[in-house]
Amino acid sequence: MAWIKRKWTAEEADKWTKEDVLAFIISPLVYFLLALGGVLSLLFFWYGWVILGAAVVLLIILLWIIDPKLKALSKDYEKKQKQYLEDVEKISRWEE
Amino acid sequence: MVTFSFLDWFWFVAFVVLMVFCGVLFFRLGRRSMADFFLAGRGLPWWLPASSVYATHSATDTPIWISGVIYQYGLRGIWYTFFSAWCAISAFASTRIFRRSLAYTQAEWQTLRFSGLGAELLRGWIAGWQVFMNMFVLGWVGIAMGKVCHFLFGWPDWVGLILFSSLCAIYVLTAGFWGVIMADFQQGVIAFAVIVIVSLWGIAAAGGPGGIAHKLESLGEGWRLNPLAFSGFTSGEFPLVWFLTMLVIAVIGGFGMGTAIDWYPEAQRIQSAKTVRDASYSIWAGSALIVIRNSLWAVAILAFFSLYPRIQSPGEYEMAWYRLGFEFLPVGLVGFFFAAIVAIHLSTISTHLNLGASYATRDLYNHYFRPKAGDKELVWVGRISTLILLLGSFVYGLMMQEITQWLIFALWIMAAGIWLPSILQVVWWRFNSWGYLSSWIANLGLSWLIVWILPEFEIIPVLPDYLQFWIMMILGGLIYIPITFLTPAEDMDRLVKYYVMSRPYGWWKPVRVEAERRGLLGNESPLKGEI
Repeated sequence: MAWIKRKWTAEEADKWTKEDVLAFIISPLVYFLLALGGVLSLLFFWYGWVILGAAVVLLIILLWIIDPKLKALSKDYEKKQKQYLEDVEKISRWEE
Repeated sequence: MVTFSFLDWFWFVAFVVLMVFCGVLFFRLGRRSMADFFLAGRGLPWWLPASSVYATHSATDTPIWISGVIYQYGLRGIWYTFFSAWCAISAFASTRIFRRSLAYTQAEWQTLRFSGLGAELLRGWIAGWQVFMNMFVLGWVGIAMGKVCHFLFGWPDWVGLILFSSLCAIYVLTAGFWGVIMADFQQGVIAFAVIVIVSLWGIAAAGGPGGIAHKLESLGEGWRLNPLAFSGFTSGEFPLVWFLTMLVIAVIGGFGMGTAIDWYPEAQRIQSAKTVRDASYSIWAGSALIVIRNSLWAVAILAFFSLYPRIQSPGEYEMAWYRLGFEFLPVGLVGFFFAAIVAIHLSTISTHLNLGASYATRDLYNHYFRPKAGDKELVWVGRISTLILLLGSFVYGLMMQEITQWLIFALWIMAAGIWLPSILQVVWWRFNSWGYLSSWIANLGLSWLIVWILPEFEIIPVLPDYLQFWIMMILGGLIYIPITFLTPAEDMDRLVKYYVMSRPYGWWKPVRVEAERRGLLGNESPLKGEI
């Protein structure tokens, strides 16, 4: 699936891309299916298990899409964090 | 009333000692600095804040209110509990932006995103509101524990309220957020195990899934088995339009910060995670567990309905899940169940004690009164604030009676007027502090006016929930949108700094272009020399 980018440089990962949009779509769908599949499978309706299974498959796809990007941007950001923390202390001080 | 055997008391005492000790154990870490007392040093792996998200939002009042909505509406009532779905998008959207801002609290974030007097007023406003709100939450969760103890032992409500919140304060006062997070992990495991056991036990007691379905069909209540059984498009007690409104509020709300009242405790967990990735997964996984837990509870309450189908009093059917545990679990396990209820309770109380104290300490005391205070002083102020919150919560708790209505209002309606502005402040560069501040003030007046005061004086009818939400959102917009355009945009220097650190999405082109012009979007530490 070359359409989904899985190797990221720090600069690329900083931008909002279609991988993020896919995460925005898939993630609430997983929650919705977990809620629906959860109650229906506990009541032993066969379609409840199917819905629950779909939630798990979508979750795996979600992680496959978004995890490489999250890793790349986290790694880069942690390098800058110490400097940022000092900056934040200065920025957020009370302004007279 | 329930009678405890020796084994029940043993479980109860052993777990309470373990929970309190587990928190106190981290005393040394909590006192190191303000970052330790309120954010556990910003170094937690994702599963610790995730367990804390889950544990915090499993409170003693949660099964009461879920029992209320499921007993009343059947399985479709589960969508009332779906507000936690804001985390589905937030985990990959606003969580990332907030974690990168490094703000201690949402109030502090306001002074990073906005500038000048408006930003300071917003910070003070949100900090003050959060101190009040956390006290309020502590009150309603505390009184729920009072009700459980009244149901169990016949104690007056105030005994359960004061006794268990005070027990919790021991480790929050000593170890701060380290105590909260470590106790939450252990309490979350106990709570989840017991929720599974009691719910499955209750389902089995009602004859299993087949027995529940059969009983409901024979009562002519088969519709209760369908989570999508709406009463009409706009008509009836649970219309489709309300379901869609809730989906919009919950899901789209994830693009903003502060669209749900749960954002504020989550914001603390987001900043306690060691990386942006850990922050995202902690919010996602903690809330996914909540969604699964709600399903378990919902089916258990349906089992209760099939056993006791004609209860009219909300005060009585709101205790459904607790009754399943205390009426059907065998001797010995009842004490274990009560210990788990205490775990559920402490995990929520501890979070709100520490969270409220963080706003009082970081955003009020440190920011406005003693900007040069050292870590030792701030940790002590944190402890004193915790104590004040505890005492205030006792007063609020004794003022509250019915829980379900409070929570429907608090979780879905109260934030209606600030729902869209809370998104706009993240996605739109031109939205300024005056616009956001005015939306808060307008919402405060509008929510009370539309939900309580005008219907009380019969000036307008009592509106359905979905109409309340959309009307408040539109009326609020008529106030804050003109104010935004009539007041100047935020200072470009501040916007550029914020943009470079947080990389927000949405309509930020003028700011991005300016940041590029200044050469700040490269790989070097972008703010160096720019403060």
